[in-house]
Amino acid sequence: MTQAWSKLEQSAARLSAQHLRELIDTDQRFELLSFRHEGMLMDLSRQRIDAQVMSELLELANEKQLPSAIKALLQGEHVNNTEDRAALHSALRLPKSAQLQVDDQDVVSDVHKTLDRMEQFVNQIHQGQWRGYTGKPITDVVNIGVGGSDLGPLMICEATHQFRPEASLNIGLHFVSSMDGSQLSNLLLELDSETTLFVLSSKSFGTIDTLANAATAVDWLQERSGLNRELLIKQHFIGVTAAPEKAIAWGLSEETLLEFWEWTGGRYSLWSAIGLPIAISIGMQGFRDLLAGAHSMDKHFEEAEFANNLPVLLALIGIWNINFQDIHAHAILPYDGRLAHLPAYLEQLEMESNGKSVGIDGSSIAQRTCPILWGEIGPNAQHAFYQLLHQGTERVMCDFIVPARRYVDRESSLQEQHQLALANCLAQARVLALGDAALTDGIERPAWQRYFGNQPSTVLMLDELTPYNLGSLIALYEHKVYVQAVIWGINPFDQWGVELGKKVANDLITALNQSADHQYDPATEGLLNEIQNLRGNGQ
Amino acid sequence: MKISVWGHELSAWIARAQLAAYGNDIYHAVADNEPIESHLRSEPGLLTSIQAAEFNQRLIIDPHKALESEVHWIAMESSDFAEAKILVERLAESDKPLLLINQSNFGVGASDELQSMLDESKGQYVVYFPDVLQAGQAMQQFANPQALLIGSEHEVATELLLSLLRPFHLGQRAIQRMTRREAEFVKYAITGILALRLGYINEMAGLCDQLGIDIDAIRRGMTTDVRIGSHYLQPGSGFGGQQFTQYLEGLSTLLSEQKGSVFVDTLLQQNEVNKEWPFRTLWQHYQCDLSNKTFAIWGVAFKPGVADVETSPALRVIDALLAQGAKLQIHDPEALQTLAARYPGNQQIQLMTHNYDACEGADALLVLTAWPEYASPDFNRIASQLENPLIIDGRNLYDPNRVQSAGITYYCMGRSCLTNA
Repeated sequence: MTQAWSKLEQSAARLSAQHLRELIDTDQRFELLSFRHEGMLMDLSRQRIDAQVMSELLELANEKQLPSAIKALLQGEHVNNTEDRAALHSALRLPKSAQLQVDDQDVVSDVHKTLDRMEQFVNQIHQGQWRGYTGKPITDVVNIGVGGSDLGPLMICEATHQFRPEASLNIGLHFVSSMDGSQLSNLLLELDSETTLFVLSSKSFGTIDTLANAATAVDWLQERSGLNRELLIKQHFIGVTAAPEKAIAWGLSEETLLEFWEWTGGRYSLWSAIGLPIAISIGMQGFRDLLAGAHSMDKHFEEAEFANNLPVLLALIGIWNINFQDIHAHAILPYDGRLAHLPAYLEQLEMESNGKSVGIDGSSIAQRTCPILWGEIGPNAQHAFYQLLHQGTERVMCDFIVPARRYVDRESSLQEQHQLALANCLAQARVLALGDAALTDGIERPAWQRYFGNQPSTVLMLDELTPYNLGSLIALYEHKVYVQAVIWGINPFDQWGVELGKKVANDLITALNQSADHQYDPATEGLLNEIQNLRGNGQ
Repeated sequence: MKISVWGHELSAWIARAQLAAYGNDIYHAVADNEPIESHLRSEPGLLTSIQAAEFNQRLIIDPHKALESEVHWIAMESSDFAEAKILVERLAESDKPLLLINQSNFGVGASDELQSMLDESKGQYVVYFPDVLQAGQAMQQFANPQALLIGSEHEVATELLLSLLRPFHLGQRAIQRMTRREAEFVKYAITGILALRLGYINEMAGLCDQLGIDIDAIRRGMTTDVRIGSHYLQPGSGFGGQQFTQYLEGLSTLLSEQKGSVFVDTLLQQNEVNKEWPFRTLWQHYQCDLSNKTFAIWGVAFKPGVADVETSPALRVIDALLAQGAKLQIHDPEALQTLAARYPGNQQIQLMTHNYDACEGADALLVLTAWPEYASPDFNRIASQLENPLIIDGRNLYDPNRVQSAGITYYCMGRSCLTNA
């Protein structure tokens, strides 16, 4: 236990009797606890903290050697110790003029070579010169990928829809991830095989979910065209992978492969060639804006003193809530329908990174780590789980994410709709913090109409939702996750917890197809028998 | 008579040439007494007539005097309506009677708008005289009109226009009188139905390929019905032409804005697909790989007899082939200069002055414009020049048997039953 940790425990005890409404009602609360980086404001004034807690949290960061840890991350040291590699998503956003040599690789030059190749592909598609097997231009692009190869591009494409250039307006973009083919089977009924291009995204090129969908897509093309597999893959597939030799063995050729590198974690990969669907949607300039916004946050993370460093502060507030306020649920609440997929994206980013109980040195972690994250578009969630936030028994921390300006050149009725969303966002943050005190009418209410308040929240307000600001926002969360991992002493860049299930599933496929001699646990045996019986009856 | 002619459309230059040839004094405010754009310069008979008019001092550049005429002929580009209004505003300052003959594609109602800027009580009138000239035959068509369509609200104005054009119709041609708006719309309606016929026959050709029927037999059969006639029924890989396309796009916009109809828009989109037929055929023939191949192209003008490549179907084919990394050896009797201007310094393109030279060492010959000089070539010579004896005929110019007996693989539209390909 470090010194700062003990101090924070004492502070928690000191503040335990104080309601958040009392903490808020202090001098210069907003000025002291709101922080800005370019087009983004981070408001921590609704957190259960005071100036002393802030300084103790910063002390904790220094005790945990955060400055050198940040340097190690950005300079490409092998911060991912269990897989002995760097985690260089920040290098994917470095400008061409930067220099970074890691493990004998000229990282910046490789990154920009890939960006240039992406640009060629995007231009060819936008100009109608990427041709299908009959020579017609591509009209639809289907991204096949799962996890990081799906959530990131999907989330960004949905959020930046309005920024599509003229040339991409006629290109339909679709995302397919589910292992059981649910999405793909519907899509294939609508699409024209002559004009559909598949982007096959898999870091390992061994993800069974993705390869199963790809196999179905190839079958569909073959059935419709009567042509051979090789030719169809050449014209109708782009591969994005860090395992090119496997992609080539599958049937792709170098000309239609975009590579990224082992040092890009799947859930950190939207900045790499995995972002191809984003570039197809908002054009290469839009994609480069996204990268520039993220790079700007990287610089801020690297250079700003911790007292004003947005990712560091956001991480420390999380540490305070989880480890000193005993809050283990975290709601992500965007007040902007364009960010509908952001909660799912952050669920993966945070829980796959920090959902761990073993430290870097292999010892088990004494304190709590990543909380359960979930979320929904705020105004919709108001009609769903806000009841629990306001009157349940669980303590929950919330992130409200909202742009200040929207629809500036659209109908006034739409502008009013955005005002409505903003008003609701401010109202919910206020009621969660203050509870009944948000009311000023002085009327006594029965118990079931009472609000306890005292639920902490952070408001992240973007001036506007643009590719640049969105890039900054996502980089903010990425670095927040890293800072928390450093404080907890864990490796956020591996995900061993998802491996065993895959192995056992492979085993069970054989068990499902033939009655295996192998004995499973009684629970699994019971289900296997049920399935065999149902199948038998169905035949 | 003293007449001022405004604008740079083909019809403006034809009016200058023909009206001057019949003794009128033509004033204008252009910088040069000859059309600058090369596709106008190559209009048969136009340039010599213009030069003759200038020599005879019947074509006079004088921006001030041009404003003083009592008859003004306006054939400006469709995008120049604002400029036309500024001109009419200046003309309106006069107290004298005026006749303004509008031939520009400014849209339905534009002539009424111009009329509203003038004073009818002083005898200042606007008539709309639709431009029905076809590039390549415009001089002859102006001189010998089959009928006259006149949009006019005032009998005086109609008569004045008719008297002006008397040397050409001699009082012997049918005259259709209608309102200005109707006359403006007629031009759209004419263009629309011509495009429909071309679109229709191409759809039939595609179907004939599937059914194993010869589209040429079907076409000949159709033309025996007098209600149908024979014009605009030749299948081909798309239609083009600046003016034709502009009117069609205008009609498409009118239809979609006024009644939410995509009727003509669908036709236009399908035409864009048809334009790429030669590319798709080549693409499929070479199994989706055209890189490092060389192709000969005969004809890039949007139709024979003109040097204009704007909106020409050939451009779509050229762009597609260039994007695939192919090399092109291109011939056209008239349009090579305008084509070169579109692809400055392009290393993949070689322009050829002789059509057979284009075939030397090529992996296929693509025929994209139906120039008469391509109609009956020496197929044996072509077969020996081509690296791979293959012809893709986007204009259905040839007899499949003749081509194939020279050992050439032949693709054309709607005749797959006659080609082995």
